[in-house]
Amino acid sequence: MNTTAEIDVRGLAPPEPFEKIMYALQTLPAGSVLQVLIHREPFPLYDVLRDSGYAWNTRMLAEDNFMILISRTL
Amino acid sequence: MKLIGLSTEQAPHISVPLRFFAVAPLFLVLAALILALDGGNPFAHSHTPALLAATHAITLGFVTMIMLGSLQQILPVVIGSSLPAPRLVAWFTLLPLIAGTLLLCGGFMLRKPELLDAAWPILGLAFAVFIGAALLSLARAATQNSSKTAILLAILALSGAVTLGMLLLRGYAAGLSLDYPMLAAAHVSLALGGWVLLLIVGVSYQVVPMFQLTPNYPKWLTVSLTPAIFALLLLNLALPLFGSTPRWLAFVAENLFWLCAIYFSATTLLLQKQRRRRIPDATLIFYRLGMSSLLGVAALAMAAPYAANPELVRILAGLLFLLGFAMSLIFGMLYKIVPFLVWFHLFRGGAKTGIPNMKEIIPEPWMWRHVWLHGCTLSAALLAPWWTIAAWIVMLCLLLQGLLLGYALFTGIAVYRRTLKHLETAAS
Repeated sequence: MNTTAEIDVRGLAPPEPFEKIMYALQTLPAGSVLQVLIHREPFPLYDVLRDSGYAWNTRMLAEDNFMILISRTL
Repeated sequence: MKLIGLSTEQAPHISVPLRFFAVAPLFLVLAALILALDGGNPFAHSHTPALLAATHAITLGFVTMIMLGSLQQILPVVIGSSLPAPRLVAWFTLLPLIAGTLLLCGGFMLRKPELLDAAWPILGLAFAVFIGAALLSLARAATQNSSKTAILLAILALSGAVTLGMLLLRGYAAGLSLDYPMLAAAHVSLALGGWVLLLIVGVSYQVVPMFQLTPNYPKWLTVSLTPAIFALLLLNLALPLFGSTPRWLAFVAENLFWLCAIYFSATTLLLQKQRRRRIPDATLIFYRLGMSSLLGVAALAMAAPYAANPELVRILAGLLFLLGFAMSLIFGMLYKIVPFLVWFHLFRGGAKTGIPNMKEIIPEPWMWRHVWLHGCTLSAALLAPWWTIAAWIVMLCLLLQGLLLGYALFTGIAVYRRTLKHLETAAS
């Protein structure tokens, strides 16, 4: 998978990370991957991604940050 | 890099936690009415029937009601694992908790052992259902973090507090010969020092950095603090069972427990000083009041053995813990969590536009009014043991707090319903 868009939402208050990620996904070109850097694991986001037909892969980075790669499955 | 397990859970419907939140303010009103019915000054002694009944209206009907409702939403958010059959668990927890608390308060107030004897199995059912479901949810969660440990320890402490509470009620109702003062002290320690404190610490690890934009709590604190609090709590409970324990050991165990509480509250206050957005925020004031109160509770508890009237100091510590620490923190968290829940569930329902800003869901002026009202309640409560007029002010303020919180929460629920209806109309 090639990462074609990146977004860093570390340090933003709820629901800003959520809004920015969903907006970035709406404008994501077909077949590409969104890389998200976030300061905690966003379990509620996963529900929305699943409902909207996205797949994701989460990795923990240093200092309790997380990198999430999101792509469309449908 | 570490690969994290993927969540397959769905957060429960918004109505699951909200039904607990909607009921809880009524128990503040009930506590106020119970205190008013006493006639004299219920704060003058620690075991007046009115104070016992009002305390349980607040600890079970308000504090635990909100904490059980919140946990149903917090578990999927923090550890990615929902309670099984959330609606069923919610009803089988909520209804017996309401009925059992009403019977318990009635039993204390009217001095009717038969009401207490009816209360304990009903409350036992509520907690057995919830604790079983929560332990299952924790066991299923793939995520390991310090909040999960804290929640597990809080639930274990709750199990102990409930078991002792049921034993005390059954023993009193049936006239059994038990060591009531020791059992009651252990019940209070597990309920307040275990269940309430551990859950607030564990949830604060997530909520403070997330909503107040502070740095994270230090890693070694989050790993070690709640196990240390739990171990010290058990040690303090176990020591009286060994008759020949040296006094210095009991002194060290009790003071170490309170030093842990001081460390948590001082760290939280320092983290809040480093927050990235310095905007006036009512929820932050509630949080600071709560943490400052915990510092005061620790100081009072550590000083009580040396006071001329230790019972009076313990009454003040109890009032400061319940009203100053637990209730302040709950208000601070509710005014963040409820708007977020409303926003999230509208968003998750498919709405991409037309969702109100989070700050519009519960209007901030109401939160600020609540800050002032709560400050009055707490100030009056700390004077109430000496001054009967202050006791009446506490009753009035508790009544108003129940009404104000109820209004604020129903405002949030109304925004959710109105927006959902508007979005459904627009879609059709």
